[in-house]
Amino acid sequence: MFNTILSQYKATLSVFIVLLVIVVLELLQVRAAIYPSLLPAFQWLKNSTPLGYIGTTYGSIYATVQAMHLLTMGTLGGLVLATDLRLLGVMFRTTPSEVISNGTHKAFKVTLIAAVLTGIFCAAGVADKVYYMPVFWVKMLALAAGAAFVFLIKQPLLSSKPHSEINPWIIRGMAITSILVWFTVAASGRWIGFS
Amino acid sequence: MSDSKKIGDKELAAISASVIIFGGVMFHWVAEMISTVELLEMAYGTAKLFNNPLVF
Repeated sequence: MFNTILSQYKATLSVFIVLLVIVVLELLQVRAAIYPSLLPAFQWLKNSTPLGYIGTTYGSIYATVQAMHLLTMGTLGGLVLATDLRLLGVMFRTTPSEVISNGTHKAFKVTLIAAVLTGIFCAAGVADKVYYMPVFWVKMLALAAGAAFVFLIKQPLLSSKPHSEINPWIIRGMAITSILVWFTVAASGRWIGFS
Repeated sequence: MSDSKKIGDKELAAISASVIIFGGVMFHWVAEMISTVELLEMAYGTAKLFNNPLVF
């Protein structure tokens, strides 16, 4: 019986195992123990890499890449809103949600890669500053959670069957969670700019 | 609920992950809101968001 449950509910068990691992690591204060050892890596990124050198020396290049980062984040937000508001039935009602979610997902992958690459450059120029910002870590955590949610949970379910065969409340729940987590990524990013 | 809308593994994983992530993110924003109100209270004695004499 245990084997049957294990084979039938692999994805669900994986979610709870990941949650359990995170809780155990937090209780053992592993994150707090690792945090100080990350500082040399951030200092190296700023002081000893071409990214850090360009980011701190050439303001025009930094501003250009920063603008590209903002554009990719804006595109990412637009793709997320287009998909999730369609799943909620708020907009694009005449187009099947399968068409929109599959179409935007392809663009989402490319845009996410571009956002991460430009984001690494932007962070390299101010690496020793962002290291001490809690809001930077909130953004990284929200980004990791959002990407994992999209690639491991949301898209596999949405592409597995016609959306009419999925419980609508599950689709709505996923859409609201997706909007909230990507809003957090965007808001935390702007908060880094404000700090 | 029809047979085709039965909750399978992927659906259950989606519900679980959605609840966990939604709860975590909401916890973060509520905590931020509380700390902001506390800062306002420290600054002004009470959180007067409106009719604040220090804001013209």
